[in-house]
Amino acid sequence: MVNELRELMREASASPPQDRTDLTAVLGRGRRRVRVRRVAIAGGTSLAAGAIALGSLAWTNPAPADLAAAGVPRPAGPTVRLTEATPAVEGQDYRELASHTNDDLDSDNGQYFDGVTDDGLVLFRDGPRSTQLYPRFALLDPATGEKDWLTEARDIGQSQLWAVELSEQRLVLVSPGEPVESGDDLAMALTAHVYDRASDTWDTLRWTGLPATDGPWGARVGPDGRLYVPVLATRGEVPEGGWPMGPDGEADDADAEGDTYDLWSVSLTEQRDVRDEGLRVGAFAFTQDALVWTDSQNGDAGRVHVRDLATGEETSFDPALGERCNLLGFSAAGDRIAMSQYCGTYEGGVRDDRVQVVTTDGDQVMTVQDSGVEGGQLVGGGDYLTMTAYDRATGGTYLYDFEEGRLLRLGDGTSAWNVAAGPAPGDQLLWSTPAGSKVELFGRSGATAHLGEIIR
Amino acid sequence: MEFAASSRAHLRRTAYLMCGDWERASDFVQEGLIRVYVRWPRLERNGGELAYARKAVVSACLDHARRRSSTERPQEADHTTASGEDVATAVATRQALMSTLADLPPRQRACVVLRYFEDLSVAETAALLGCTEGTVKSQTSRALFSLRSVLSDSPTSEQAEGAVSW
Repeated sequence: MVNELRELMREASASPPQDRTDLTAVLGRGRRRVRVRRVAIAGGTSLAAGAIALGSLAWTNPAPADLAAAGVPRPAGPTVRLTEATPAVEGQDYRELASHTNDDLDSDNGQYFDGVTDDGLVLFRDGPRSTQLYPRFALLDPATGEKDWLTEARDIGQSQLWAVELSEQRLVLVSPGEPVESGDDLAMALTAHVYDRASDTWDTLRWTGLPATDGPWGARVGPDGRLYVPVLATRGEVPEGGWPMGPDGEADDADAEGDTYDLWSVSLTEQRDVRDEGLRVGAFAFTQDALVWTDSQNGDAGRVHVRDLATGEETSFDPALGERCNLLGFSAAGDRIAMSQYCGTYEGGVRDDRVQVVTTDGDQVMTVQDSGVEGGQLVGGGDYLTMTAYDRATGGTYLYDFEEGRLLRLGDGTSAWNVAAGPAPGDQLLWSTPAGSKVELFGRSGATAHLGEIIR
Repeated sequence: MEFAASSRAHLRRTAYLMCGDWERASDFVQEGLIRVYVRWPRLERNGGELAYARKAVVSACLDHARRRSSTERPQEADHTTASGEDVATAVATRQALMSTLADLPPRQRACVVLRYFEDLSVAETAALLGCTEGTVKSQTSRALFSLRSVLSDSPTSEQAEGAVSW
C-alpha cells in the first residue's frame, strides 16, 4: 500500500508547470519577500492556508454547529449565536457604494479594494499579476466609478502591503521589508510607502533605529500621526511533547501561552525619529482618545489596559476571557473593545470561537460565540461590529448593531480571496463574497469586493 | 544561489503535495528559500541546509494552516458551492490522490508526504514536525486509512489505528 502511495505521489508531482519564480529576485537583488502572484490582504501563502484549512475540516454536516451538544462552555455575559442573524436588506440596512468582481483569481491575480480614504475614495489596486509584474494604484470614486491612477510606486515591487492610513493628505502602506537575521525567527525591517496626494509622489521610509519586526500587520497609526510598531519580545512556549491532539485529530493549542511585544513608534516623515515607547504589550489599538492594550496575545490575553491619551491616566481590568481562550484579534473604537478568540475544539470538531466585546471600563457588552467565527472589527465609531464566519451552515460576513441589539448577515458565502480590506471612514465597511465558477480547491474561482455604508 | 537552484524543484514537489497547487507551492518554496537565505552562513557551516530548507517549506505550509495560532487567518472557500462528489467521480487516480490529500488535516498530510515522498524516517519526521514519534505514527496511520480508497491494493476492511507497517 505504501509503495503504491510512494509511486502515486511521485507521479502526481512529476510534471510541474514552469516555475516563474525569479531566483535572483528571491535571493539576491532586493532580498525582499517576493510574491509572484495573488498578493491579497492576507497574502499568497495565506491564501494557500485557506485551501489547507478548508481541506482540514470535515464539511459533512450542513446544519449549524450544536455547541451545547459538543460540550462547548458558555462565555460570561450576554451571548449571541450566528443563527440569530437576519439577512441584511440592501437599501434598508445598508447601501452598496461600489463593487468589483474578479472572475478568476485561481489563474492569476486581480484587482482589490485596499481601503477607503477619509474623503470617500477607494484605494484600488491592480496586480501584481502575470502580465503586470508590479501593482498599480488608483483612487476610485464610488459615485462615478472613475479611477484616478496614481504615479507608479517603483519601490513597492511585489511586496505585500497593508494600508494603515488613508487620509485626505496621504496614503500610508506598510510592507515587510527586507529579511534580517534574528535568532531562530525570520524578522523583517519594516518599510512604509507614503503617497502624498497633493504632489502625486511616493516616498519610501525605513528606520535604521527600529528593531526588526516579525511582520508589518501589527503596525498602527496613532492619533498623533506616528506609526506604532510592535517588536517581538517574548514568544509563548510550545508545551513539552507538543500540543495535545484535539477531537478532530489536529493539534489543539487552546490555552496557549501568549506572545509579548515592545511598543515602538516612528515618524512617517522623518526616518531618524524612532522612539521606544517603554511599554510591553500583547495586542494594542487606538481609539480617538485612548491607547488600549493587553498583556499578551496569540494565547492568553492577561489584563486589558486603557491609557487616556490626554491625561496619561491608566486603568486596567480583567476582560474575563474563557479559561482556554487564545486572543487572536483585537479592535477598539469609541468606548468598545472587540477581542476575537479561539477557545478549543470539542466533540465532532465543533470549535469554540468567540468575538467578545467589552467597554473600555471593563463592562461585558456581548459575545458572539460560534464554530468558525472570527475577525471581529469595530466600525462606525464603535457602534457596529463586523465579523466573518467560515462554517458551512453559517459562513458569511456579519454586522452587529449594538444600539438595536441585532445581528445582520451581509452575505451567505465566504470568499477564498479577501479582495476588500483596509481602513474605511464613517459608517462604511468592506467585505468580500465568492464569485466565478466552481473550482476544486477554493470553492469558487473568483471574488467580489464590496464597499457598503450602514444605514442608521 | 546554487543551492536554491538545485533544491527548488524537489522542494516545490513536496510543497505541491502538501498544498495541491503548483503556484502556491512556489510561494511556499520562496518563503522557505528566503528563510534559508537569512540563516545561510550558519546552515552551510553545519551542513544542514537541505534539512533546514525542507523544514522551512513544511513550516511555511503548516504555519498558515495552523488556524488557531494566526491572527492573519485567511478566508476560506464558499462551502455551499463546493462539491467533493463532483471531484471524486470525475478525476483520474492522481487527481483523486491530490483531492484526498487535500481533505486530510494538515499535519496528517505532512506526515504522509514526509514519510513516503521525502522518505524520512519516523524519527526524522517527528523532529521536523516538532512532535513525538508516536504522534507521527498515529497521524500517518489515520492518513493512510483515509487514503485507502485511492490505493488499489489497499485492504478493503477497515484498518485499525497503528496497523501500518513501519
